[in-house]
Amino acid sequence: MKIQHNLGGIEGLAPINYEKQVFVEPWEERIFGIHTAMMALSNHLNTSTPPYPIEQVPTAFKSFWTWGHLRMGAEAMNPFEYFRLRYYEKWLGGISGFFVEEGYITQEELDTRTAEFLEDSAKAGAPLPSGGNPAIDTQVERYLREGDSPKRSYTGTPKFSVGDTVRVKNTFPVDHTRLPGQLRNTIATVVQVYEGAFTYFFPTEDGIGTPMPVYSLAWKPEDIWASALVEPNSLYYNDIFEVYLEAA
Amino acid sequence: MPSGYDGFKYGADREIYSAAKVKALESLLIEKGVITGNTVNKILSYFETEMGPFNGAKLVARAWVDPAFKERLIADCNAACAEMDFPEGMSGAEGEHMRIVENTPEVHNIIVCTLCSCYPWPTLGLPPYWFKDPTFRARVVREPRVVLKEFGVELDDTVEVRVWDSSAQIRWWVLPMRPAGTEGMSEAQLASLLTPEAMMGVATVTVNR
Repeated sequence: MKIQHNLGGIEGLAPINYEKQVFVEPWEERIFGIHTAMMALSNHLNTSTPPYPIEQVPTAFKSFWTWGHLRMGAEAMNPFEYFRLRYYEKWLGGISGFFVEEGYITQEELDTRTAEFLEDSAKAGAPLPSGGNPAIDTQVERYLREGDSPKRSYTGTPKFSVGDTVRVKNTFPVDHTRLPGQLRNTIATVVQVYEGAFTYFFPTEDGIGTPMPVYSLAWKPEDIWASALVEPNSLYYNDIFEVYLEAA
Repeated sequence: MPSGYDGFKYGADREIYSAAKVKALESLLIEKGVITGNTVNKILSYFETEMGPFNGAKLVARAWVDPAFKERLIADCNAACAEMDFPEGMSGAEGEHMRIVENTPEVHNIIVCTLCSCYPWPTLGLPPYWFKDPTFRARVVREPRVVLKEFGVELDDTVEVRVWDSSAQIRWWVLPMRPAGTEGMSEAQLASLLTPEAMMGVATVTVNR
């Protein structure tokens, strides 16, 4: 269990920082845009829903990159680093590391150019290179409009029905999970069985990644927290993949 | 906020380094043909003009004046979006499967993503910093009333608080209550009252905000 998988209910934290901006520094917009472009150009999009003619898009990007990859990178971080770094600082580290690992750029190229911008304010303030094949941008915009849905048809029978009581398995995630840690080994009620089945971008060690039912579950807070920690009159809901559940 | 609080602003050296590094990365990716010189700007402008909280505000305003539309919006958010005069793509990235939950005098809803920052892009755009912050994500799932109070929303204990977390593919958002004193307003006037925070459940809608 990593602390990033188990944020829910951590005590002793500060008041909420009510910062309403999406980006607090201009540089953050750029890494958000790079990540979104990578998702829009990912090599899996020829088999996604909807499918895209991704092999015809004239980009040098030939890798598999999704939200799942970004999340897995954040979950793999040293937890002290996870909390030290601001949101988009984590993205910048993970994404630049990915481009080096996949061989698109070298660490030396990145470091050299970063140093140039730090040392020479004229270079740092100069415009970015222009040009490139506009068909790349056409694909990026199409992805934003049409998305990448994990919903699939399902011919099986969901294991649970509305009103059933279920137990969340006591799993121990390694690389990546979509099960918040505070829910392990708790009891919940099925309030909705979503139509169809939902896959994930890739198989995880804890079992998602093939199409399976997803349930809307409701928890009474006393079924998650010690009674002294429970607020009155509240319910917690989450959408949980079937593989994480067993009959209670 | 505590005195001396400086929000998410970190040391200037740290920001200058990140700015240089991201510019180095983007310029190398353009030179190597991964993206074009326009790609990032096009994405950012898409969120300024096509996918943003202005869409959610129009949907809520329509729901406030048209009860039948409100029913359809709650039953099938994506289908209700398709009825609007929106750009194509309202079921696109991070909005493939959206759901809205309605605040009433008896029930107050709030959204969170404890594992990351899942958010309904087509109706709300990109999430504000507080929503992405581990402090909010850690605290709201256990003590939503205390957290709401910090945001300025005080609820009587008779109001049921429902916290909607997103660990799979549904992207949740909130239909806030229409404030009193707005009876004669047009849909456009009503839409102008809405904030992203009201549609996330951490603010109420007021006429003179």
